[in-house]
Amino acid sequence: MSTPRFATFQGCRNFRLLIVLATLSGKPIRVEKIRSDDLNPGLRDHEVSFLRLMEAMTNGSSIEISYTGTTVIYRPGIITGGSYTHQCPPGKPVGYYVEPMLYLAPFSKKKFSVIFRGVTASHQDAGLEAIKWGLMPIMEKFGVRECALHTLKRGSPPLGGGEVHLVVDSLIAQPITMHALESPQISSIRGVAYSTRVSPSMVNRMIDGARKVLKNVGCEVDITADVWRGDNSGKSPGWGITLVAESKKGWRYFSEGIGDAGDVPEDIGALIAYELLEEISKSAVVGRSQLALAIVFMVIGKEDIGRLRITKSQIDEKFIWLLRYIKQIFGTEVFLKPVDDADSDDLIATIKGVGFTNTNKKIA
Amino acid sequence: MDQSNKEHRKKSEKATAKKKLHTQGHNAKAFAVAAPGKMARNMLRSSDVNERKLHVPMVDRTPEDDPPPVIVAVVGPPGTGKTTLIKSLVRRMTKSSLTEINGPITVVSGKRRRLTFIECPADDLNSMIDVAKVADLVLLMMDGNFGFEMETMEFLNLAQHHGMPRVLGVATHLDLFKSQSTLRASKKRLKHRFWTEVYQGAKLFYLSGVINGRYPDREILNLSRFISVMKFRPLKWRNEHPYLMADRITDITHPELLETQGKQIDRKVALYGYLHGTALTSVAGARVHLAGIGDYSISHVEKLPDPCPTPYFQQKQEEYERERMKEEGVAGTGAPRRRKRLDDKQKLIYAPMSDVGGVLMDKDAVFIDVGTKNGEGASFVPGEEKGEGEKLVTSLQSAEKSIGESFNGVGLQLFSNGQELHAADEVADDLSDEENEASNGKNVGRKSLRKPRIYGKSVQEDDAEIDGLASDDEGDNDAFDDDEDHQRRLVEIDFNSGKGESIEPQTDSEFELSDHEEDVWSRSTASKLQGTKNRRRKWDIGKLIYMDNVSPSTCIKRWRGVEDDDENDENADDEEEDFFSKKDGAITNKSEADDDLEKFKPHFETFKNLMSKWSNFDSIKSRLVGTSRPTSTNKETEGGDGDEEVYGDFEDLEEEEGQESAGDDVDEDSKQDSDDNDSEKSFADFEEEEKLDLTVEQEREQNAAKKENMRLQFEMEEGENFKEDDPNNEFDTWYELQKAKMAKQLEINAAELESMTPEQRQKIEGFRAGSYVRVVFDGLPMEFVENFDPKYPVIMGGLLPTELKFGIVKARIRRHRWHKKILKTNDPLVLSLGWRRFQTLPIYTTSDSRTRNRMLKYTPEHSYCSASFYGPLCSPNTTFCGVQVVANSDTTGNFRISATGIVEEIDATVEIVKKLKLVGYPYKIFRNTAFIKDMFSSAMEVARFEGAQIKTVSGIRGEIKRALSKPEGHFRATFEDKILLSDTIILRSWYPVHIKKFYNPVTSLLLQNKSEWKGLRLTGQIRAAMNLETPTNPDSAYKKVERVERHFNGLKIPSSIQKTLPFKSQIHQMKPQKKKTYMAKRAVVLGGEEKKSRSFMQKVFTISNAKDEKKKAKKQDERKERLKKLAKLEEIKIEKDKERKKKYFSENGRKRQHADAGGDSGSHKRR
Repeated sequence: MSTPRFATFQGCRNFRLLIVLATLSGKPIRVEKIRSDDLNPGLRDHEVSFLRLMEAMTNGSSIEISYTGTTVIYRPGIITGGSYTHQCPPGKPVGYYVEPMLYLAPFSKKKFSVIFRGVTASHQDAGLEAIKWGLMPIMEKFGVRECALHTLKRGSPPLGGGEVHLVVDSLIAQPITMHALESPQISSIRGVAYSTRVSPSMVNRMIDGARKVLKNVGCEVDITADVWRGDNSGKSPGWGITLVAESKKGWRYFSEGIGDAGDVPEDIGALIAYELLEEISKSAVVGRSQLALAIVFMVIGKEDIGRLRITKSQIDEKFIWLLRYIKQIFGTEVFLKPVDDADSDDLIATIKGVGFTNTNKKIA
Repeated sequence: MDQSNKEHRKKSEKATAKKKLHTQGHNAKAFAVAAPGKMARNMLRSSDVNERKLHVPMVDRTPEDDPPPVIVAVVGPPGTGKTTLIKSLVRRMTKSSLTEINGPITVVSGKRRRLTFIECPADDLNSMIDVAKVADLVLLMMDGNFGFEMETMEFLNLAQHHGMPRVLGVATHLDLFKSQSTLRASKKRLKHRFWTEVYQGAKLFYLSGVINGRYPDREILNLSRFISVMKFRPLKWRNEHPYLMADRITDITHPELLETQGKQIDRKVALYGYLHGTALTSVAGARVHLAGIGDYSISHVEKLPDPCPTPYFQQKQEEYERERMKEEGVAGTGAPRRRKRLDDKQKLIYAPMSDVGGVLMDKDAVFIDVGTKNGEGASFVPGEEKGEGEKLVTSLQSAEKSIGESFNGVGLQLFSNGQELHAADEVADDLSDEENEASNGKNVGRKSLRKPRIYGKSVQEDDAEIDGLASDDEGDNDAFDDDEDHQRRLVEIDFNSGKGESIEPQTDSEFELSDHEEDVWSRSTASKLQGTKNRRRKWDIGKLIYMDNVSPSTCIKRWRGVEDDDENDENADDEEEDFFSKKDGAITNKSEADDDLEKFKPHFETFKNLMSKWSNFDSIKSRLVGTSRPTSTNKETEGGDGDEEVYGDFEDLEEEEGQESAGDDVDEDSKQDSDDNDSEKSFADFEEEEKLDLTVEQEREQNAAKKENMRLQFEMEEGENFKEDDPNNEFDTWYELQKAKMAKQLEINAAELESMTPEQRQKIEGFRAGSYVRVVFDGLPMEFVENFDPKYPVIMGGLLPTELKFGIVKARIRRHRWHKKILKTNDPLVLSLGWRRFQTLPIYTTSDSRTRNRMLKYTPEHSYCSASFYGPLCSPNTTFCGVQVVANSDTTGNFRISATGIVEEIDATVEIVKKLKLVGYPYKIFRNTAFIKDMFSSAMEVARFEGAQIKTVSGIRGEIKRALSKPEGHFRATFEDKILLSDTIILRSWYPVHIKKFYNPVTSLLLQNKSEWKGLRLTGQIRAAMNLETPTNPDSAYKKVERVERHFNGLKIPSSIQKTLPFKSQIHQMKPQKKKTYMAKRAVVLGGEEKKSRSFMQKVFTISNAKDEKKKAKKQDERKERLKKLAKLEEIKIEKDKERKKKYFSENGRKRQHADAGGDSGSHKRR
């Protein structure tokens, strides 16, 4: 038994992804120079909290954080899952913590049932509907059928007070090999506009704003109002909207946003609607924010070749970083080739799975 | 003469019967079941047989077109004729005879099949285990005259737990039977015994005698035919791991290192062999396990030309070459001949470690055959040379260290560029030497035997070239790269391989042109634009992404062609610096946020931009179902659009259905206008019109292309075919469906990989099974090389990520029923799990109705139990077996496989407990309370167990309440009933057991004597060796139980209770007798002697009673006195107590006063 060699990474970029990939591959990693030239160097509260969560959801993993917090050594253990309640610090919403859990939950020893308490919405991170309607359908495509995110309480920033329950019941051996070569047709646009501790008229105004933009799209548009009152509506007033375009085969594109004090609800509604259109135009089979999940699930698939159509504009810096990190940890490369269709400049991402299997699960 | 004959039956009945058959106008017999019971039974049986044939569908990852050779292991006890069998088979297949068998022998056995024979050393359990893991077919040799031996049984059991390869029994020594009948009987006995071991009807061959050192030709012919048509099922473990059986190994450590640092340094070793199983990753540093050596990282892998190609492969190569010749305009050599039988030329044999005729060249060494073909009168024997040439060779052989070697090195260094000459440090030396060796081998290799089999450019060269290019920008595995580069250059110089294309400029920068076609394309365009210096490159995103020295933003800019070209040509280092220098600025922060997945929301433009962009939806019209699209004008102008529509025609029926059902929102007008991809009935005619423009050929071409496209699409696009839930899919059974799915996926894999360039393919796929590779390891222990014996197989097995981790493996285990002893917890056991063989200390457990894992001291006799041990993790469902000793010297005649099992779960920790019973005795008993002693030794221990359940032996339950203050460790406990003083109190508790983290790989191949590996000894063995007695606890000894007869008083029920009892529970007593009995009626009168004695006795008693009374009275008085005294003392004591209390409280009171006075503010705060 030799000393484990670390895959070393610099900076706090894709921190959660790194930890998740390391956990899936079982390889120890070392992240250096985390905000080393920042005024406030080292790990932030939310990252430490995330590491705590990882420690709770795995068994035998060891996390070493240097004195300054700028270096982290993570030796992954075994994904165990189970029931847990996580208090999220107010800096980041629950989506920040739920999102990486989606990568791990299907491959754990026990079923995942985690309650997250904290803020439920923000400008940057995944909202509840984005996870529920954006990411979980992608997981379903890879064979993770029984997963759900229950909103028990909504908590708008800054004070939060929300509570969500992530339940992933299907423990699969490995994701299904994906073959998605055609950009799906969007059959309907759905959405939800919510508000906590503000007048329900805000919700309706947002819906109006979005509807105005999507009026001429031609397919069914259905946006529901979701007004939260009383104890379940958290501690702060807030409102937001999530729009989801869905295809018949279960692919989804989404955009979401929340309103700040002083924003005009109609504008937010319209903006999100425009963003949805933009997202549709920029994505082939999966949206940009779903791409990482899809690619990672393809990488850890069977030793077969999976294919996913992506657009040219989906190859951005995030994507490149993702692929580089995947290569560094899994040693797998993604092969991109143009589709044999003269009209579109889309690409097919061809990935051979690494032959990962969920070894954590107990037999019979 | 009364003779009663049977009555004559009339003929007419039969006629009526026949008539009855035709009752309904047709023959009833023809349309009815004659014997329904039999028929049902037949059907049952046939379906039973069919079901039994089915196995869980498994993907077979062996490549179809060029599979690796089948590994045929010849196994058996010593003296059963293993070597003779291999010799006979090799002779039969290749017409060449071997004198000695060392290591694997690969022969071509058919057009598309090769066999690798391996002889398993008879007396080495380690080799048997390794062979059982890799063999595809086992020829199990047994001495027919003797019967089954222990080795045979052991091997069968080993094989069974590593995925059971195909087994063919071969019984030899049958010529030793004198009489035919005993031969027949023993054959039958053997066969049936073999069947019970393998399966009913397993094939057992009989080889009668040895003629000319070989088995009879006819029998061998039959056997070889049987082998060559055999089919193999994929085995799970081998289908998930790459593995390789080393054909030969070479120590390529730099000789100078050996000279300067001595022989004790770690060696650089190259293993050669065919890859089996899945593809071996091409990423450097992959971890593998070398059975019998340990876990190591591959330093690099390289594909070599196949030394033993199949005729099929050769034919394909020839065809390829012919085509190339045609392209080049050289006259062809004629049409290929179709052969039914193998040519003698094609009957190749490759056995580098054995003595096969001919000279063999490889990268690292040259093999010269020193024996003649018939195996007698070997040449090159020192002192018996047969000519000048032989003398030369033998003199070379005798030289310890040839000058030529160093000479060679210098010469080649001259060949390479000057820089390398100057590089004098060790590493460079090492490298250059390797290059030398490499190029040396290469140089000669071209002129060698192998040359005719290589078309134009060998696979190896090709790969090398590619590798060289790809790894330029990585720059971390210099050794490898340099090596490659040199090879390539040499190839160019020496052979001018005539590929027609020049080499890419040897840049160390990152600008590569994408793949071949694009390369050519760009060059042609470049030549067009020769005049302008500023030429535009097309970047391959696939390569750009993985260039670590190019920042992603630059990647994208370059790929999209946004940036200026001169910046493109900039040196990579500059850019890198640029990138880093920017870092502290505010701009970086922004960009960092942009490319960080921590930020979930993708980048969007501003509201205004979006608004202006999305004033109409034209650009995404095609993505929306049922929207109008600007039609006629657009369509007519665009030619390509028509194609798309044709596509649409084929598109998807399912979509259409769904749309029809759901297309409610779509207004009719837009529907009519749309010429969306989806096929709408109304447009059918329109498209027809368009199609008319195309000629029939074009149309056909298009359709063919589309069909091909469809063929490679999977279920989602395919439509109905693969719908599992759909009862109308074209597959009858689930099994067929799964099979079809797998076949489809394999087809897709093949097609996708085919479409890649070899370089990309290597990167994506790795080294395929069936390729002949050279795997180099840095830092193998010197003992491996020094003690290498080709007779013992060297196996390299790839490891999956989980298998690199260490932890606790929980397995279901059973002592093998033939093993003589049960196994003891924490006794070392050598497990063969996965590729590894290692010694570990298992703890045997059982689950107490799933509430806890309880440790067992010993395995149960005949049933499964759980075992937890520390070791490398392995995916659940992997079977393994365990042996206690592997060393031959420790082996008794007994069956050595002591346990078999299967991995159930892996984890980082495990909770195992053992039972601990604490015993105490009551010493004071109140009603339900008792004081217990002897259970604990301190109050703290008691405190730890407060509230714990306890129990008396008689079954009265209770609870620990509180520790008593006085005798340390005594406590008060309550019970559900009054306990007896004679009761024993038991506290049942669970004590955690920790697993010892002991992992000791069996490094048998490092030993001089391979079969003498000794690890940790069993406890019993150590005791025996050191002459120690087994420590015994006298408490645990079995003694004769002596029990005092206990007397219990009768049950007395108070009359008050008795009255209230219900009738049923009342105690029934007989009434006192009223009548006097006969005896009672009669008075007995005393008299005489008796009366006297009685009166005497009475007097005596009276006196004694009086005395007693007196005594009693006196005692009473004394007691009274004493009580008085005691009362006095008590009074004094109380007095004293009072005083003490007074004193105490007065002091205490003062203290409190002080406290109050001193910190009243503090007390306030506390409140």
